[in-house]
Amino acid sequence: MRFSQYIAVLGSILTISIGAFAQTDRPSEKPSATVAPSTLSHDLSGVWMPYSLHMDGIDEKLRPPLTPWGQARFDASVPLVGPRAIAGKENNPALHCEPEAVPKSLILPNPFEIIQIPGRMFMFFEQYHLWRTIWADGRPLPKDPDPTFLGYSAGKWEGDTFVVETTGMNDKPWVDSYGNPRSEQMHLTERYRRLDHDTLEMQIIMDDPKAYTRPWVNPPQRFKLEPGWEIAEFFCIYDEEENYGDAVRKPAGVAASPK
Amino acid sequence: MPVKRTNHFSGGYFDLRLIGSVVLLGALLALMPHAFAQSGKPSEVPKTQDAAAPLSHDLSGVWMQYPEGNVPGVPGMNAVDERTRPPLTPWGKTKFDAAKPLVGPRAVPGVENNPELRCEPDGPPKLLNLPNPFEMIQIPGRVLMFFELGHIWRTIWADGRPLPKDPDPTYLGYSVGKWDGDTFVVDTIGFNDRLWDDSYGNPRSDATHLTERYRRLNHDTLELQIIIDDPKAYTKTWVSPPKRHKLEPGWEIAEWFCILDEDKVYDDAVRKPAGAAPAPNQ
Repeated sequence: MRFSQYIAVLGSILTISIGAFAQTDRPSEKPSATVAPSTLSHDLSGVWMPYSLHMDGIDEKLRPPLTPWGQARFDASVPLVGPRAIAGKENNPALHCEPEAVPKSLILPNPFEIIQIPGRMFMFFEQYHLWRTIWADGRPLPKDPDPTFLGYSAGKWEGDTFVVETTGMNDKPWVDSYGNPRSEQMHLTERYRRLDHDTLEMQIIMDDPKAYTRPWVNPPQRFKLEPGWEIAEFFCIYDEEENYGDAVRKPAGVAASPK
Repeated sequence: MPVKRTNHFSGGYFDLRLIGSVVLLGALLALMPHAFAQSGKPSEVPKTQDAAAPLSHDLSGVWMQYPEGNVPGVPGMNAVDERTRPPLTPWGKTKFDAAKPLVGPRAVPGVENNPELRCEPDGPPKLLNLPNPFEMIQIPGRVLMFFELGHIWRTIWADGRPLPKDPDPTYLGYSVGKWDGDTFVVDTIGFNDRLWDDSYGNPRSDATHLTERYRRLNHDTLELQIIIDDPKAYTKTWVSPPKRHKLEPGWEIAEWFCILDEDKVYDDAVRKPAGAAPAPNQ
């Protein structure tokens, strides 16, 4: 797995194997029981690793019907993984090293780190070395932000849940690895709860009326605190992705969906 | 074709409409927002430090580099100063000769091979030298730096840990820092040799030991000195003069990713037809 240190992209395939190794000594780990809400921590800092490596923080089975715009986008996308994958025709934006951004970065089978400081939360995603700011100083979302990959995020505590709202996203990345689209009308909600010291729960809710006919509400996904871990350097390098694609991915054919 | 405007310091032509979305072109493009941001404060001079007052040990904030010679609109990129570069080793000379920079006297239009033209991530020390803002955040045991250009972040461990013995080479290396009096001293090793030290093609080898010395001269002024010890590329240690940065309290680091497709478009539409621009500080 030396490749994985520096060969980027190929999100699903490569990273799943890394995650699989990391998880092998804990095959039957179960989340501990939820404690009384009043004692849940309001500090989310730490390195978090998803319990499940199946990228099910966004569950395609729960996807609402697509709009005509969404359907056209979906039909044009050829993913690397899943039932719609076509070897050699893939057009996943990550193959050009475009930033994956949110919500997709939240569901990849790689760790992220959260750092909280007054008025602000940072998230650092290992895959492609992405970082984002979530403003938590009470500011409202901007009225008409320029569309960006990461959008503009503001968060606040509602009881024991830290609720992050993001708007101002462009329509370039997919929301998942299966080619489901994201439009610039996306209003993304992430709900974080620290169930106990070692367990973080995150729920992703997507309200994107340009792409989907209803809000897409996903089940909560759990993450495990990894106190000894540091986020490694894992950039997307276009030349290496091209080489990897030619040397490994294309000859091997397309991988099956992890589900 | 949208409106073109002559840039007063480079002599090159730039497509202003493209700036928001077309990424990269580090040197050339990056200079423009800087020039605009500085135009309202033409005569600002750093305050002198009160000798009696201790310098702050908090470096947090968004910092923007001072222009060369404090001349408004003239960006420096001389925190790594080629004028003080030691002689190259044979390995360093080979790398230097193979480098075809986008700017400077060695620029040749159409053959440039800056790593960032392929959207490889910029790393230290070049990242510290670009005329774009960076933000520093201090938390216990750690300093975080966020660079606007390329949306790069790095960690500087400040919990007393030593540098690793034999780290795998990376773009950003592995960094530790500690306070030496009023100076925060950052040491970094474990670099790969894919990047340049500056915009002019001076190489960075995997033997590089980089030292950054940060001093907050007063509330609004941060001084940064870059010292490059790279015996594989240079025959002596390369000591550049300190460069000043100004605190910008109202600024947020914007999203600025390197997007390969957009850079290709910009390359073909603007940069190659316009020819290469001369170096901004020569």
